[in-house]
Amino acid sequence: MSLRIMPKSALKAWIQRLQQRSFRIVGPKALHGRYVFADITDPDELAIDYPTTLSAPKQFLLPPREVLFSFNADTMDMTAHIEAEPTVLFGVHTCDMHAIQLLDTVQNNGFADQHYRARRDALYLVSIECLKPCSAQCFCKDMETYSITETYDVHLADMGDAYAVRVGSDKGEELLAGFTNIWEGADSDQQRLNEVMSQKWQNFEFRLDATLSQLPEVLGAAMHSAHWDELGDICLACGACTQVCPTCYCFDVTDEVDLTLTHGVRLRAWDSCQIEKFAVVAGNHNFRSQLGRRQRHRFMRKGKYQYEAYGKMGCVGCGRCGTTCPVAITCIKTFNHLTQESAERQAAVEVKA
Amino acid sequence: MTTRPRPKVAFFDFTSCEGCQLTVVDLLQDHPELLDAVEIVEFREAMSEKLPLDERYTIAFVEGSCTRASDEARLKSIRERADFLIALGACADLGGVNTIRNVMPLQEVREYVYGDKADWYETYPARPIKAVVKVDAAIPGCPIDRNEFAKAVTHLLQGRLPNLPDYPLCIECKALGTVCMYQRGQACLGPVTRAGCGAICPAVGYGCEGCRGFVPSPNLASMREVMREAGVGDEEIESRLRIFLTYQMMKLEGVTS
Repeated sequence: MSLRIMPKSALKAWIQRLQQRSFRIVGPKALHGRYVFADITDPDELAIDYPTTLSAPKQFLLPPREVLFSFNADTMDMTAHIEAEPTVLFGVHTCDMHAIQLLDTVQNNGFADQHYRARRDALYLVSIECLKPCSAQCFCKDMETYSITETYDVHLADMGDAYAVRVGSDKGEELLAGFTNIWEGADSDQQRLNEVMSQKWQNFEFRLDATLSQLPEVLGAAMHSAHWDELGDICLACGACTQVCPTCYCFDVTDEVDLTLTHGVRLRAWDSCQIEKFAVVAGNHNFRSQLGRRQRHRFMRKGKYQYEAYGKMGCVGCGRCGTTCPVAITCIKTFNHLTQESAERQAAVEVKA
Repeated sequence: MTTRPRPKVAFFDFTSCEGCQLTVVDLLQDHPELLDAVEIVEFREAMSEKLPLDERYTIAFVEGSCTRASDEARLKSIRERADFLIALGACADLGGVNTIRNVMPLQEVREYVYGDKADWYETYPARPIKAVVKVDAAIPGCPIDRNEFAKAVTHLLQGRLPNLPDYPLCIECKALGTVCMYQRGQACLGPVTRAGCGAICPAVGYGCEGCRGFVPSPNLASMREVMREAGVGDEEIESRLRIFLTYQMMKLEGVTS
């Protein structure tokens, strides 16, 4: 894969060209002093040097609410709604690329979800190298997500006045087809990129006390920790953490019909394991009526269950849940608290022995 | 289209601004098919006719809270004549803004409102209608959300009780991509308030006042702490919690009115 160089000033022209080619352009843009992924109509709105967004880009693969199919209740005719608009997602950070990789694995597992699949096939990922931590809550170095995955179509690295551009797929080539303000990099460009990259690693620090490989074990041993109830005491069960998480994909399915009771749709909408009724089953039994149990479930998913099921951590260290939580429940604090407890238990065992 | 029997639907009001019934009238403008689906037999806001006294309502929608002893007999008679009784909006469902007075001595309130005519008017602490009669379901909000009303009617036509959201507003704000009011330095009751309104207040930059009522198990201690952290004074926190939620708060905190 050869290195290409695009002057930063050419980014706008590239986006305009993609818009002319009828691509929907989505990327980070400013909103009330924060950043969100949203449609970019004017290329000047794209804030590609953003710290991080409030919500993850998963909404472009798994919309908060979508129609799966429509039906006629009298004739029982059904029509699948599979929407896929060619969309270029700009400025994806590496943690979010890891999250998309996990979503790909989950959604393609067994019976592939065709709604997801169609959107994924139509989604072009233009990622950007993270050269420094993007927020006080991120811990991508610990989660090993601060390097790019192989799933990018085009990957950009900021070299000051230009982007080092790598194309990772045919879809990436398609995005750059016919665009002339980009050229093959010389050896000197590769050297510049190597310098940028070699300076990157030291900008990140470890924020967890456990290593990635220790985390599932730390969580497994914490099943009966009193800390979950401490979190439950302050948790509002607002569900914001799961909504902004790049890897949470739980959903609810409902049917809605119109007032004639004839035409209807089957809807899929984001759900949250933090809300009261998430684990309510027939007979009204609630498997997780206590807030602490619901938080425990969330952290287990992030640091243990997903890893065991798919070989990839459910947490990519983006820190969004910690930023959004009104009561400041954060991954860093929680994982470190449990690691500390684990060490104390270990020490107690050793003393007894 | 299959011909279905049209349920007889009636609307009634107690202490309220009638805004919820106006929302229903408003809804009819873009959902005229509602009139094909149901037969509206009483609706003071929109018509003069009344159902003969010996006939039953399939669905009775009641707006407004119960604020005086004489409300009770009328409410009970509506209940007796209705297969389904649905509370329409915050006043009927929660007691609503009318319950703000419940924390003050009643005589003081009467004198404040009616001055030297205080004794002319009958009143007592305001209550949601479920404090007086059995209520089958409620459509929350001040006022109700017109689309949610249509959805509730659809569910009733299907022969089931309305299945409306009771998860927190934050779920809707996040789905819409609204920046959290706390991240904009403003207080909001969204984390403990049930959704279904489309989180319209935060979407236009205004913190939630809780008009739809609490989620099933609100963590009020934590909610107060979050507001305190956001720089809201204790008095303002309590005021905010008392706009729509006085009755629910008093119940939760074991104070009876």
